[in-house]
Order: sequence, then C-alpha cells, then structure tokens
Amino acid sequence: MRIKSPRDFWAGLMFIGFGLGFLFIAVGPPAFLVELAKQFDYKFEYGYQMGTAVRMGPAYFPTVLGGMLAALGLFVLIESLAIEGEKVARFYFRPLLFIVAANLAFAYLLKPLGVMLSIAVLVFISAYGGHEFKWKEVALLAIAMMIMSVLVFVKGLTLPFPIWPAFME
Amino acid sequence: MDLINNLMLGFTVALSPFNMLMCLVGVFLGTLIGVLPGVGPVATIAMLLPVTFNLSPIAALIMLAGIYYGAQYGGSTTAILVNIPGESSSVVTCLDGYQMARQGRAGPALAVAALASFFAGCVSTLIVAAFAPPLAEVALKFGPSEYFSLMVLGLVSAVVLAHGSILKAIAMVILGLLLGLVGTDVNSGVLRYAFGISELSDGIGFVTVAMGMFGLAEIVMNLEHTGEVREVFTDKKLHLWPSKEDFRRSIAPTLRGTFLGSALGILPGGGALLASFGAYTLEKKVSKYKHEFGKGAVEGVAAPESANNAGAQTSFIPLLTLGIPSNAVMALMIGAMMIQGIAPGPQVMTEKPQLFWGMIASMWVGNLMLIILNLPLIGMWVKLLTVPYRVLYPSILVFMVIGVYSLSNNPFDCFLMALFGVFGYICVKLECEPAPLILGFILGPLMEENLRRAMLLSRGDPLVFFQKPISAGFLIAAMILLVIIALPAIRKKREEAFVEA
Amino acid sequence: MRRLLAAAALLAAAQAPFAQTWPSKPVKLVAPYAAGGPVDVSARILAARLQESLGQPVVVENKPGAGGNLGAYFVAKSAPDGYTLVMGAIATHAINPSLMANVPYDPIKDFRHVALVVQVPNVLVINADVPARTVKELIAYARERPGRLDFASGSTGSTGHLAGELFKTMTGTYMVHIPYKGSAPAVTDLLAGRVHLMFDNLASALPNIKAAKLRALAVTTTLRSSFLPDLPTLDESGLKGFDMTTWWGVMAPGKTPQAVVERLNAEIFRAIEAPEVKERLRAMGSEPGAVRTPEQFTAFVGAERALYARLVRQSGAKPD
Repeated sequence: MRIKSPRDFWAGLMFIGFGLGFLFIAVGPPAFLVELAKQFDYKFEYGYQMGTAVRMGPAYFPTVLGGMLAALGLFVLIESLAIEGEKVARFYFRPLLFIVAANLAFAYLLKPLGVMLSIAVLVFISAYGGHEFKWKEVALLAIAMMIMSVLVFVKGLTLPFPIWPAFME
Repeated sequence: MDLINNLMLGFTVALSPFNMLMCLVGVFLGTLIGVLPGVGPVATIAMLLPVTFNLSPIAALIMLAGIYYGAQYGGSTTAILVNIPGESSSVVTCLDGYQMARQGRAGPALAVAALASFFAGCVSTLIVAAFAPPLAEVALKFGPSEYFSLMVLGLVSAVVLAHGSILKAIAMVILGLLLGLVGTDVNSGVLRYAFGISELSDGIGFVTVAMGMFGLAEIVMNLEHTGEVREVFTDKKLHLWPSKEDFRRSIAPTLRGTFLGSALGILPGGGALLASFGAYTLEKKVSKYKHEFGKGAVEGVAAPESANNAGAQTSFIPLLTLGIPSNAVMALMIGAMMIQGIAPGPQVMTEKPQLFWGMIASMWVGNLMLIILNLPLIGMWVKLLTVPYRVLYPSILVFMVIGVYSLSNNPFDCFLMALFGVFGYICVKLECEPAPLILGFILGPLMEENLRRAMLLSRGDPLVFFQKPISAGFLIAAMILLVIIALPAIRKKREEAFVEA
Repeated sequence: MRRLLAAAALLAAAQAPFAQTWPSKPVKLVAPYAAGGPVDVSARILAARLQESLGQPVVVENKPGAGGNLGAYFVAKSAPDGYTLVMGAIATHAINPSLMANVPYDPIKDFRHVALVVQVPNVLVINADVPARTVKELIAYARERPGRLDFASGSTGSTGHLAGELFKTMTGTYMVHIPYKGSAPAVTDLLAGRVHLMFDNLASALPNIKAAKLRALAVTTTLRSSFLPDLPTLDESGLKGFDMTTWWGVMAPGKTPQAVVERLNAEIFRAIEAPEVKERLRAMGSEPGAVRTPEQFTAFVGAERALYARLVRQSGAKPD
C-alpha cells in the first residue's frame, strides 16, 4: 500500500486522533487503553454523563462530534491512499521555536520583571529567529517598543502592568 | 412624519458641540483599540465607565457606542495589514484583505473596507430609526430551535470559506466545534476537557485561538525563507486608492452585505456573529469572480465589512427596545445606562426620546467621522508596510502578546496562543484551513446550548426543529447549500479517481 | 508559648506603624469576573471614589475564571498587606465551595471580610400570559401542570436556579429548570413566552416589570424592596423563611492587619454613602443592609455559606 498523498494522510491521522481523543474523554476510554494505562500506573478519569434526549448530558454533543470527526478523518486517510496528492511542505523549526519562545518569555517574565525588560527580551528573542539580526537595529526597536508600550498600554489604556522589575518598585 | 421629526430631534442632540466631541473621542479611541490586536472594546469600555460618571447620560452613551463601532473599523485594518483578526467579525476580512495587501493593494482593501462600512452604517442606522420597534418583535421570534437551525446553516456555510478540500474543511469545522466545548458546560456545570487547569474552566478565548492560528502562524510562515532577503509585501508600486474596477465590483456585494448584516444583527443570540461569515459565503456563491476568492478578491472585503458594520448598528435594536444585550459590549452599555440611572428597556424610547433618537443620530455622525478619520490614515498604514519585515514582526508580536495577556491578566492565555500558533503552523503544512475551524469554534458552544435547551423545552422531541417554520426554513436552506457545495467536489473527486485507475 | 506571644507582640509592633503608613503605594482591587459585569462595574465605581480618600491609586484588575474562584484564590494567597483586595461575591464565597469540587480556598478562614458593598434582591417574574396574579395562584397553576412549567436561570447553581429549586421543594411543585448563559437570553425567552417564570435579579427585571411585559409576583428577600414597595415578599406569600439576596463586597487576604481592615471598612462605607456613589449602586438594584462591621460581614458570609451548602445539596445542582 502506497501513500499517494502524504499531506492528506497526515491530516487524516490528525483528525482521527483528535476525534477519538475527544470521544474517549467524553465517554471514558476503551478497555484496552485502561489495561495499557495500568501497566504504566496511570488511572484514567472517567467520562461525562451521556444523559437522555430530553436532558442531554455533557457527553452527548462531544461524543457525536468526536465520532464524526474520526469518521471524516478516516475518509481523508482512505482518499490519501487512492488519489495522488502533495507532499507535506518542509517544517522550519528555527522561526517557530524563537517566536514561541519570545511569546512565552514575555508572558512569564511580565509580572516579575515589568513591561520594560520583558519587552526587550521579547524583541531580542523574536528578532533572533529571523534571517537577519543587527544588534543596533534590534536595540533601537526594543527601546522604541518599550516607550510606546508604556505610553499606550500602561499610561493610555491603564492596563495593570508593572513597568519596572518588582524589586525596584 | 414621525420619523423625520424624531430624526430631527436626534440630530439636534447629536450635533450639539459637546456630544460631537464625545462622539469623536469615542470613534477615535475605538479605531485605536480596534487596530491593537487583543485589546477589545469590552475591556476599553469597562475601563472607561468611571470616566462616564461625570458626563450626561447621552454624552456617555454616544461615546461608548462610538468606541464599539469605531473598533469594528479599526479591527479590519489589522486584519488586512497583518492577518490578525482581533474581533470575530474580522476573521473573514483576513482571507481576502490580507491577500490584497500582499499584492500591494492594501490601500484599495482598506479604502473599500472603510467605504463599505460607511455605506452599511448609514443604511442600517436608517433601518434602526425606521423599524426598531417592529424589528424587536422579530428578535423575540427566535428561540432555541430557531437559533440551533441558524447555527447549522452558518456551519454549512463555513465550509465555503475554505478553498481547498471540502472534506478537510468540514473536519476543521467539527474540530472547531469540539474546541469550543472546552470549559464549564452551561447546562450541567460539569468541567469538560479542562484537564484540571482552572484557567480553562471558562473555555478558550476566541482572541487566543484566532491570534495563534492566524497571527503567529503567519509570522512563522513569513520567516521560513532563511538566507534570501525576501519582503513579505511586494515592492511593486503600492496602490493607495481603489481603481474604477474595484468600485464597480464592490457595489453589489456591499448592498447584499448590508442587508444580510442588518437582518442578522437584530438577533440577540449570536446573529451578528454570523453576519460577516454569511455575507462572505453568499458572495463566494453568487460572484462572477469565484475563482479569485481567497486570493485577494475585492468582493471578499466589501461584503463582510459592510455586513459586520450593519450588524453592529442593528444589534442596538434589541438593546434599545427590549433591554436585551446581544453581546458583551451591549451588556456593558446596559451597565453604563444603569449607572446613569436609566433602566434600559421598552420604555426608553417613549420616556427618553432625546436619548433614544440622539443615540441613533450619533451613529450616523460617528460613521461620517470614522470615514473622515480613516481615509487619510490609509496612506500611513500603507507606508507601514514598506518597513522591512524584520523590524515589523517583532513589533506585531509585542502588540499581540500584550493584547492577549491583558485578556485576563494571566500568562496562561499567551501559552495557549503559542500552542495554537504551533497548531496553526501544522495545519498550514497539512493544508487544513483555519477559517472554518474558527467559525466552528465561535458557534460550537452556542449550537450545543441551543440544541440542548430546545430539547429540554420540547421534552425531547426532535421534530420541534421542523415544526417551527423559521427553524425548518433554515434547515432546508442548509441542506440545499450542502448539496450545492458537495456536488461539484464529488464529481471532481470521482473524475480524479477514475483517471488514476 | 512565651516565644509565640513574643512573636505576636513583635508582629503587632511591626504592624502598628505599618497601618499608619498604609497605603503608601497603589492598591489593587481584583474583580474576579470579566470586565463589564455588575461586580466589575461596582468595583470601578468604588475604586474611583476610594482613591480620592486613600490618596493612592486604586486599580481594578479583572481576573475572571472558574466562576470567580480564580480571582478569589489569587487574593487569598496574596501578601496580607492591604494592597491586594478582591470583590468577593455570593458565588465565590457562598455557593461555589458547595457547588464545585476542588475550590482551593476557605471562604471564611482565608479572607478578612472587609465591607459588604452591594445587596440585590431577586424577584419572581412570570410571562404576562401565565394566568397568575399572586404567588398562591402560581402555585396552584403549577400544581395542576406538574412538569409542564419551565423556569429559566442565568446559569446552573446561580441564585436564580437555587431560588427556583427552593421554591419547588417548599411548594411541592415540579417544574423543569432551563439554564441559560447569563440572565439576558433567559429574559428574552421569558418575554417571548418560551419559558414561564424566572427568579431574576431585580435590576435587570425592573424595566420589563414597569413596562408590564413581565409580571412580578414577589421578591425573594424578607424585606420588601424600595423599588417596588407594593410587591409582597415570598415570606409574606406563604413561603415562610424564604430569604435570598445576591451580594458582593470587598475582602482581603486572611492575615491582613486589623487596623488596615478597619480603616478600609470606614473608607469604603464613606465612599458608598457618598450621594453620587450611592445613587449609582442603587441604580444597579442595590439596597443597603444591616451588615456594617467586618465582624458582621464575616458572620454574614458564614451564614450564607451554610444556607447554600444546604440548598445546593437539596437541589441536586452539584455536578458529579
């Protein structure tokens, strides 16, 4: 069996994964998974109530949708074996990593370090993920962003952000 | 003529110098926060409430309303320029607006968006003035079963948003529906898919998902090509103003968008959410330029922009006539009215005609101000795109992260945005489009809620969806639409399969 | 023991000057709900006034999530220095601890209850087409139609829901609870006649009552409301002891010094009794009650906590 359309093949797998995931969390996992989990000393939390047609429980809607998603995923998967399609385009991990890291660094540094420093961190990390990195330009950009953010967000829109690190206040 | 007298009264109130000033302050602020991704009108209005204490009720409401529809204008600017939808209504503007910007046509896209919004604002203000009381009755005709069927129709039309595989688009809609269920179940209070994380108990925010899947993923995509210096926006000649052709092609979509948006805006239970999506779908189906949609069709900007602005205006109808807020901003307006000692409800129109008509007239004034304010700004925005991308994207990121952080002052939302950014990137690679997922995500909770409520009220009789004429109408329309969408695709697939074999 | 006393004395000595210099930096008032809701709006009204009298900015910060528990917990574990306060509400401090699993704080011990700011009664409203003029007629009407009447509420476990359940047990009627996401869509369906009755917040029901689109039958408090002085209470209408109020007020972390709590209590009451603030809170349906001192407020929260523990158990509202 040859995968004719790798892109659709993986998309199909992804949909099946999500569909079954939502389904199993809603109704509780199937027996073999429970057994498997026991091997790893893991206990599943059991699903939500299904309810009746009159008083639908919290499991009703996600069960139906999860099943539909898994079925659609299966269709996509089968189709990818039958119809010629495209390869999965290459993943570029460098920009992805730096953009995500910059974002998280800002979020978790904001309270301890204040707006000023965390914006500098954000600008430097994210700029480093690009193709060109010029120290001077990035430093200028960081300073401009720091001033602008304090003026617009902290002073103008009165968002409750500390400006400076906690120990300096 | 009552209407003319009433409008005259309204304009004398709205055109008083101080009220005009407040209107200007409102629309200016609204444009500003609309442009800033993440910082929405809800947070801004809430923060400004104490400021309004010292104003007269009418001045306060004129300003707050200005922020609301000003933000709709501003939101489309960010969507067109950098592919970040800060509001659910600007998701579809991203689809074609951003493509236009990448072809050097950001100017025409912004101008068409502004002009279409202005036109829609004028028409729908008139609709509010002329028909508010009878239309309020329409809002009451919509119960859980009608909303459920409307959502079904909306979801089917979400599939049209995609330009690739229909099967994958449907799957993305369903995945969106499922993601929308994360959080506390309205009916039972049970926490679903929260994995013990208390920040997830109120569900995932729309802004978080949209900014991750559109904004973050887009930045990463643009940074892919290492080595070669490649500008994201073409360095071809930048156009500032729409061509004659653009104008000609925008007229009919704007008209259709205005009427669809006005109609959906009246429904307090999430109708306005569907306005821009619905208008886009409609255009994609009726347009002569179907093949251009998703690649920078001017209709794909004009229709949703006019629809969303029209919906924003008519969503004041249930507020002013019934005291029912149709979204979070309207709920805040109620708060603002109550602080001023006005109980919003059916009696406002008769007891406080100055307030009622003054506010309606101010919407027209505000729309005029917005267009005067926004058209000259287009030049500046377009200039912004000539800034090298390596400088532009860290700045975009600063705005995005601050906006998302401010949603609930918690780093968790930024973490989620990052997660959806990665997911969005994977989706791009697998050619699964985010727009249908977003629409499913917005409508999912509403759909489930209304389905379960309808079943509770009918004591479990599923026929209720077909017995009510409005509901049945929507379901039939949804089925017809589904067939129209599916047929050509199925035929194509079969041909391909046969060729293969 | 001696050492403990010495430590306590030291602590007290350290606190005394602290209380005199408080506040020396901005005070944060956490609203545990999204911006724009009644709790948030009243927090902002109060903050605007408080910062004049305290001489320091009072910043409202929204920390929504988990039915308000997230914001309440944030304050419970903050430094007890009087610079972090929360607008604690009936949900976070009386209902949720019984309704939800894993509430990470003790609503009594982990807080100093500084000042009760807002108290809003609920009102029993029915669609104008339901042929009942009084509570008695409504009970009779419901008894003839067991399981056929619907009552709406803003959410599962809200006061509106629990009031309905209490009404059902006290009258021996059977009605179906229809939960909504917030009071506004519930009122829409009540106006349209798709549901029959609702125990709604007085402020949100008032305009439609005045416009005769909805019929009010009774208020849920033991005292009549000054907004609708002719409207009887449920207690008067035969449901002896029916008493429910929606409330919220300022609270501080559990170990906040007494002096700071007292100063805050005094300033808050001065603020909410100032005419323009009073008028605005009244517009939100608030009626001042007898709870004034921090000690009274703590006792009040304790009583409410016990009441809702019982109501939640009886109603079966607790999800499993």
